[in-house]
Amino acid sequence: MLAQLLFSGLALGSLYGLVALGFAIVFKATEVFNFAQGMLVVCGAFFAVTAITLLGLPFPLAVLFIIAAAALLGVAIHVLLIQPLSGRPMLSVIMLTIALSIVLRSVVEMIFGAEGRNLTTPLPSGIFIVGGVRISQLHLTVALVSWACMAGFGGFFKFTSTGLLMRATADGHEAAVASGINVNKMNRLAWAIGAVLAAIGGLFLAQLQIASTDLEKVGLLALPAVVIGGMQSIPGAIVGGLLVGLIEQLASFYISPKSSDIVIYGILLLILMVRPWGLFGQRELGRV
Amino acid sequence: MNQTDIRRLAAGFALSGAALAACAFELPGDGVYKDHVDWGVMMDMSGPTASSQGIWVHGFQDYMRRLNEAGGVNGRRIEVLAEDSRYNTATDKINFEKLSTQTPVIAISGMGTSGSQVAMAAAIKGGQIPIVGTYTPTEALSVPVTPMVYNGFCGYKQMAQTGIGYYVDQLKLKAPKVMTVAIESAGGQDYQNYVSQVAAQYGGTAKAVTMKVTAVDVTPQVLEIIAAKPDIVTIYGVPNTAILTMKAMQQYGLKIPTFGITYLGGPQVFKAMGPQAGADYKFVSCFTPGGSDQSPGNKELSAYANKVGNGALEADVNYVGGWVVAQMAAESLARAGAEPTRAKLVEAMNKGFTVDSRGLAAPIVYTKDNHTGPVVLKMFGYDYGSNKYKHFGEYADYAKYTAH
Repeated sequence: MLAQLLFSGLALGSLYGLVALGFAIVFKATEVFNFAQGMLVVCGAFFAVTAITLLGLPFPLAVLFIIAAAALLGVAIHVLLIQPLSGRPMLSVIMLTIALSIVLRSVVEMIFGAEGRNLTTPLPSGIFIVGGVRISQLHLTVALVSWACMAGFGGFFKFTSTGLLMRATADGHEAAVASGINVNKMNRLAWAIGAVLAAIGGLFLAQLQIASTDLEKVGLLALPAVVIGGMQSIPGAIVGGLLVGLIEQLASFYISPKSSDIVIYGILLLILMVRPWGLFGQRELGRV
Repeated sequence: MNQTDIRRLAAGFALSGAALAACAFELPGDGVYKDHVDWGVMMDMSGPTASSQGIWVHGFQDYMRRLNEAGGVNGRRIEVLAEDSRYNTATDKINFEKLSTQTPVIAISGMGTSGSQVAMAAAIKGGQIPIVGTYTPTEALSVPVTPMVYNGFCGYKQMAQTGIGYYVDQLKLKAPKVMTVAIESAGGQDYQNYVSQVAAQYGGTAKAVTMKVTAVDVTPQVLEIIAAKPDIVTIYGVPNTAILTMKAMQQYGLKIPTFGITYLGGPQVFKAMGPQAGADYKFVSCFTPGGSDQSPGNKELSAYANKVGNGALEADVNYVGGWVVAQMAAESLARAGAEPTRAKLVEAMNKGFTVDSRGLAAPIVYTKDNHTGPVVLKMFGYDYGSNKYKHFGEYADYAKYTAH
């Protein structure tokens, strides 16, 4: 039974990790705490509904459509909303992302209605049994794709020149500008990646559940994941996501479903008190 | 500014104030105007329960639209003022105040959030505005019977009685073991209690497992079902609750007869489950899905829904529920006389009345002491081949389960 819970917790946690990774990339690059990340998950789910259900695109084309639409949305958010606020106090930008999430929710409900939509994809839905543990093919697919995305973006940051430029920009805007890096371009790219990762999460969540604006709450579980892991840490976001998934499943089974929120946010509070830079984050030292 | 100017200004303010006061006194406090009556609806048109409650609102509005096209009630149109509760008790409280005093209505229908009913029960029972046709009949609001509240949807008690009774008969169970899967809510707790009572009446036992309304994975819940080995599973919650539970049960190879509460009988629930998971799923309902039989009431509903572009909603029992409650609202208003008020409406309903939906439900009888509303339910399933609902007998066959 424990093995079963661990598997489902890790699968769920991979999904949270994927969304949290998008959040961490945006934060690392632009220092924007994006409260609209949950709504970007919802947008991804409805891009999937548009591509698969409404336009009837074949699944591979639909995936390309979702990625392109999400990337475009991320770039548009940066160009139209974030970039003009460059240099303004952090509070203004945070308020902007909260407002953005409300606007996106309203737009989605105006276009698609408040009712949830079914999403049927050719993703596998059966099970197989390994050592007594029932492995859901859909959960396994979710976990594998999430890990592939995480590994892919990890490799992108480590081994490509664009990834290097993005890391350099994240480490110091002024130094990056002085070195001739187009900082706005790098930031736009970060927002595009963040939105794409959220959208992939939305595609899976809509398949596991139904596509509705309530997926925002699930998407927002990336926030504790990223805080626990470390705001600026990409491995931290992944580990944080896995932890949140595991805690959710174990607490639901051994205590009660409501208790999972208490445990997750209890750990978040504890981390903020004793290690505010998170499990994998780096402590910032300032000269006084 | 000299003294004359000040006097003129003061006189101006006084006149404006008097004019505003006069206008205010002309506003009918009960929402009754020369040519129309305002009727309130409080339902979740956004949030996790919008997929069922939003459709109910469409059914309610469409019936009223059809009625208005035919001349309304006693020469007055019925204007529906629908407020979005957003699955939030605080919002409901604000909406209730708004419909009571700011944009007054003669009565309110719906009130779909069980938590709101519990929170506002005392205010409603002691207030002046009747709730005609509740969507979520909670014990807190319905017991003891009050002239201010009339239930308009299948009750949880009757759902439990019908569902368990049906399976006890079909499976010839001696001491049924029943498992309830429910979201954590006031209504969910009521439902669990009713299931326990009904199971005990048959000499059986009941257990319950809960989940969050926004759950993504229900592995912990399904593991508990496996451990409990129930004969019957019953589901209370939102469409997602039923979809996730049935999909997970299928993945774990569980083939346990399962029934959902009425709200979980929408076509989208069955479609999202898919034919394999949906094969073991039925739901109990006091309303017949539109387009699934040839009763006069069903034909009228179907024709109008298609006429106004809501044909896709007609098969949803929530749409039918809204339609029937609107019929109930119109009939009660007609009994309140040519110049209705809230007080007259309450007085008229308190004498008792019957809603004959011409086949959409068994006749719904309200008496002075019984405001339960629809009490006869039956079991429905879904035929994935024809994409239509399957009926399991007639309402009359099921009356025995809820007769006591």
